[in-house]
Amino acid sequence: MDYLSADKVLIVDLGTSEVTEDDLSEDLVAEKIGGAAIAKQLCEEHADGNPIVISTGLLTGTLFPATAASFITAVSPVTGKISHCPVTLKVGLEIQYSGFDYIVLKGASETPVFLWVHDGIADVTDAADVWGKDVWDTTESWRKTMGDDLIQTLVIGKAGEDGSDIAQVCCNYWASGDRFGFGKLFGAKKLKGLAFRGMGLLEAADAPEFVELSLDVLEEIKESGLAGTHGIGDLMAAAGHPEAKDWLAPIVHRHSACYNTPYATNTFVFLDADPKQIEETDNPEPGFLVTDMGALLGFHKIGLSAAEACQCLKACARYGIDGAAAAELSLAAGKSTASEIQESLLGLSGKATVAGAGTFSPWCPVQPLFDAAEEAGGDPSAWWERRMAVSYIFGIHPIFAAMCPEITEEDLLEVAGIGTEIEFAPETLDKAIAGLTG
Amino acid sequence: MGIKIDALKCTGCMACEMACGYHRDDGFALLSSCIVAYRTREKKDYFGVLLKREEDLLIARPEGTEIRRLGETEEEADSGKEQDASAKPMLLREACDLCEEMEIGPMCVKFCPVNAITEE
Ligand code: SF4
Ligand code: SF4
Repeated sequence: MDYLSADKVLIVDLGTSEVTEDDLSEDLVAEKIGGAAIAKQLCEEHADGNPIVISTGLLTGTLFPATAASFITAVSPVTGKISHCPVTLKVGLEIQYSGFDYIVLKGASETPVFLWVHDGIADVTDAADVWGKDVWDTTESWRKTMGDDLIQTLVIGKAGEDGSDIAQVCCNYWASGDRFGFGKLFGAKKLKGLAFRGMGLLEAADAPEFVELSLDVLEEIKESGLAGTHGIGDLMAAAGHPEAKDWLAPIVHRHSACYNTPYATNTFVFLDADPKQIEETDNPEPGFLVTDMGALLGFHKIGLSAAEACQCLKACARYGIDGAAAAELSLAAGKSTASEIQESLLGLSGKATVAGAGTFSPWCPVQPLFDAAEEAGGDPSAWWERRMAVSYIFGIHPIFAAMCPEITEEDLLEVAGIGTEIEFAPETLDKAIAGLTG
Repeated sequence: MGIKIDALKCTGCMACEMACGYHRDDGFALLSSCIVAYRTREKKDYFGVLLKREEDLLIARPEGTEIRRLGETEEEADSGKEQDASAKPMLLREACDLCEEMEIGPMCVKFCPVNAITEE
């Protein structure tokens, strides 16, 4: 596969630490396009090793708007079937540029390990020194050891190591879209995480045309109803919780976006510094980046203050716990104060609700957002599943896909064709989606 | 003509960095961009944009823009100060040429989704 690809599939046997590489077959791309659709196939091919597949979408890391997402695919301990969750922030981007399109992790290690992926090289590396450390300290430790603050991580904390039902794989320091207990699976494989860094180059078959079409779509987005909206607050309001936006507002510091995503889906709150301070604070850990609207709303529902809710989210992220599941299970257990909740986090067990069909993560609200409501028509659930499938194939940020009708399937097929010299027909996409959701 | 950056508007999305990388390498890459979103202070939520120009480095911080002579930046980066950790790799890159050969104009301006970069 010559274009929009590193042309490499990495197979890692965690049992033997053996690492092998395959080329990415162009025929496979012509049939399944990319991302979670190919990851599912790899997952089935390596089923005897109970694999975890890390994948990039066909357009991930390009100049097409919102191409921030990579994905984790595995048989979920929560749903019992192959499920997929997105990896966003700048982690999805770094995966793309670290030199592999797909990474299959099969088997289990006997001792704690992590996978260090950098510039087309992958090493199974001892993780004994970070086993037992929380998510924050682990990311910190890897960045320090490798001497690069821009290393991006997928990492578990104590919850995953202990086999908690609600363990989550986190991105750097923050919550991810893992609602499927993939953190538990990482822990069972003694896989502390993956660290990525890369300076690769992605070539497009017709780069000028690819860029021109990307810019046309971006310009349409800039003129859409999304202009001027940003952050978790506006997202909560768009999802039907305007009161939660006001509740959060006093502690908001700044909003930030995942790679090349026109809407800032993340909001940093200051818990131990003045949220109005714009100069760099002396406090090395002044607050928390809220990346998970559902989890925040879960703690809001319990009746906590916004600061208390965000303290709980921070504790969840350090332990590597799915905040939305923690909020739901805490509420069911009658926990009503932030300290009670935080003290009991590691002991929580049980299954939380998973909205949707269990294929794609409900970290992206299971509803159309902003102007997408009109496009969703009379069957928003079916619309959402298809929209997610499309975004998980091409590498589009799922939350952005749920709010932005300007990114059409036609545009995606066209730009994918321009970028790869492969002709992708609408029927190809329909088939890839059917394979993914069937 | 020059480039003006409003770091308070910036969401740290890196689109400008990729757009500049495309201008340099005719593909998607970040290695040669002369504009970068600095993001090493992730836990502090402190981010902005660095632009390498012929004579100096423009540092667009949330609290305002600072301009450093290249020699000055080099000395500070060599001293290992955290403040300028992102600046050092910039010193080796080519300076902004305002995308003079690009038909569509300055790429970073075009691709910034929140209009934090403008021509002046
Ligand atoms: S104007 Fe062109 S060369 Fe200058 S920073 Fe922007 S993209 Fe790079
Ligand atoms: S494109 Fe705009 S918002 Fe994104 S990092 Fe650059 S200046 Fe900031």
